[in-house]
Amino acid sequence: MSWIVTGMGAVASIGADVEEIFDSLIAGRSGLGPLHGYDREKFRAQVAYEIDDRPAPGVDVPLRATRWLERAVAQAAADAGLGDDLSEVPVLVGTTLRELRSVELSWRGGIPFDAADLHFGTMLRHRFGAADTHTVANACSASLYTLALGADLLDLDAADTVVVAGVDTITESTYGLLDRCYAEAPDRVRPFDRERRGMLQGEGAVAVVLRREADGPGPGSRVHARVRGVAVNCDAYHSSAPDAKSITAAVHEAHRRAGVRPADIDLVMLHGTGTPLNDEAESSALGTVFAGLSPSPYMTAIKSMTGHTAGASGLHSLVAAVDVMRTGTIPPTVYLDDPVDAVAGFRLVRGGTVRPQEPLRLAQIDSFGFGGLNAVAVVERVADEALRHPMHPEGGGK
Amino acid sequence: MSTGRTACAVITGLGAAVRGLTGPQDLLGPLPVGHRDEADPVSRLKGRGLRYKDRATKLGMAAAADALRAAGLTDDNGGLTVPGESVGVVASTNYGNADTVCETVQTIAESTYLATSPMMLPATSSNVVASWVAITHGLRGANLTLCNGPTSGLDAVNWARLLIAAGRVERVLVLGVEPDNAAVRHVTGTPEAPVAEDPAAVPELFDGAVALVVESAASVRARGARHLAAVGPYARRGDHAEAVAAVRSRHAGRIGLWCVPEHPEGVTAPAAGLGTGAGSAPVHDLSALYGPASGALGVLQCAAAAVWLDGRAGGRPDDAEAVLASAGTGDAGWDDASAALLLTGPATVSAGPGTASPRTEAVPMESVGGIR
Repeated sequence: MSWIVTGMGAVASIGADVEEIFDSLIAGRSGLGPLHGYDREKFRAQVAYEIDDRPAPGVDVPLRATRWLERAVAQAAADAGLGDDLSEVPVLVGTTLRELRSVELSWRGGIPFDAADLHFGTMLRHRFGAADTHTVANACSASLYTLALGADLLDLDAADTVVVAGVDTITESTYGLLDRCYAEAPDRVRPFDRERRGMLQGEGAVAVVLRREADGPGPGSRVHARVRGVAVNCDAYHSSAPDAKSITAAVHEAHRRAGVRPADIDLVMLHGTGTPLNDEAESSALGTVFAGLSPSPYMTAIKSMTGHTAGASGLHSLVAAVDVMRTGTIPPTVYLDDPVDAVAGFRLVRGGTVRPQEPLRLAQIDSFGFGGLNAVAVVERVADEALRHPMHPEGGGK
Repeated sequence: MSTGRTACAVITGLGAAVRGLTGPQDLLGPLPVGHRDEADPVSRLKGRGLRYKDRATKLGMAAAADALRAAGLTDDNGGLTVPGESVGVVASTNYGNADTVCETVQTIAESTYLATSPMMLPATSSNVVASWVAITHGLRGANLTLCNGPTSGLDAVNWARLLIAAGRVERVLVLGVEPDNAAVRHVTGTPEAPVAEDPAAVPELFDGAVALVVESAASVRARGARHLAAVGPYARRGDHAEAVAAVRSRHAGRIGLWCVPEHPEGVTAPAAGLGTGAGSAPVHDLSALYGPASGALGVLQCAAAAVWLDGRAGGRPDDAEAVLASAGTGDAGWDDASAALLLTGPATVSAGPGTASPRTEAVPMESVGGIR
């Protein structure tokens, strides 16, 4: 079975919707900026990929993640022709840090916070009438995990339409502990570069509307892409260090579920956090999967411009992949000036955009998280023919 | 009316890490007098590496080890008896890592990031309990953490069943865990000191973990394992009565026991605010017994239901008798939603081919108990 993406929405430091984010990616425009939310004297690191919507520097307010999620879901639902009524639609939200930033503000600053807002179902009920909502806290693979779960719901005929989403804000506790982990404070995210110093967090939200392909796109009549397969697993190895063998297994399973071979993959949206352990595990796994293929698929890592948007990052990459395949333009991995040896055989896009002669038809999206949580998706470009002639005659383009 | 096809997943092992309980068989209560002063269940854990694990993780690890052993998925040496890829984890906790987040941000405020320990970093991510349990036992299948508010525990049990039905794993360790500490009391607005109405009493919160193994019936047969109960229909709706009605429409047998939601005004059978959907079944209020249990409640309810159903197996002719578990009060109690789940006795599991290997066979829609 395959599933179609009928709506997309996203917000990030580099844009307030899907189009603006992709424009930024193509322009090589990064969301990196001075740290806004916290007292900078408490940290060595001084930069992050924040959404600049606080009332003033150093003045933080609760429920920012919830508001971004609301925007992303509203965009995706409107794009899919669902409007604001999701009362019959399951909504699955992947996240690493939920609204724990609001808990921090409440604990240390006495800013009121209702425990009911820790999970995103509360907002989704009020705003969209959604009652079947699930907050899935699956670290940085969370939103691709929700994609897998959403596809399963459709597969099992437990729903006809599903919204899957991801959201994360930066918590001060995570920012401080990351600062404590690295030998030097990272000044930017530099995936696979010899000068990489580690990961910096990013903020944002993303949502995708998913349906069974056999049912057609529904009221919106748009088909952005086809999801061919999503694999999930767990390293069961280490709480923070990834396991290349387990990642390899996840990629192989994603290909098997999608019914494709490594040679069929045209584009890999790398997880690419710019941390040595993550980069090495991912490059090792991809070296195994794509061994003997020359040239390799095109590869790029958008965290160099969005920062690590954690639970949202997997679907952020997926939405970008849809636009890459649609436009035939691949954004570069910015700040990747001197690649490590491990990626020497990879066709990494850097320096500027690349527009391959051949069409980009199949993309693999990597997403890995703390605790060894891996999710890998394979997404296919939908032919222009299908876009002009929606598969379902009921798609009225409302 | 339910049939054998309703049960595509069964419960094969239980574990509990709660002060005062000798094991999951005690879950239905009553609790011994002074149970809060009994030995801390995390003292059962041995070995290195415990120093940097938060309380929720340690509670979860204690309960998980017992459930896996009880299900026969680990041997006397703690080794897995089945392939690690075939075992998933679904954990439910709403407040599990609140202490790490609050303590860290306080440390930063007082002494900058330099006073923090990088060892705490993984625990800022809310999946920490599920991940450590997987690492401890080599469980390499799908690994989920549900932080889904009052319904989270029942949602977790259903996601376990869905992972099996979708063919991603053959069995799932389900955990419900909530710690009682200063951060959780702050977030939930629960006083740490005695309350004015009763100066002798400090309000209780559940402090513990409950684990159960949900498994495909085919897997149980292949392993020659015994099961205690079957997971029946589930629904999550905006209103409690609607959720209950949705599962009752798929199972019309007698409700022998109703495990009720936490309710701000307390639940007495059945509370007016919960509507009439639950009928007049005998009420069992686990929150009244243990204190508000939040994300642990639904798992606690299902484990208690398995104990109750297993205790009646073979003793009554009424195989259709079920336990109704419901969590979250939905509109009536201002929760975002309400979930209901029915559990039935072991005899309701079909022995026919309809519950064969989930990897190769589509699971009938009715048996999935739609999430919509």
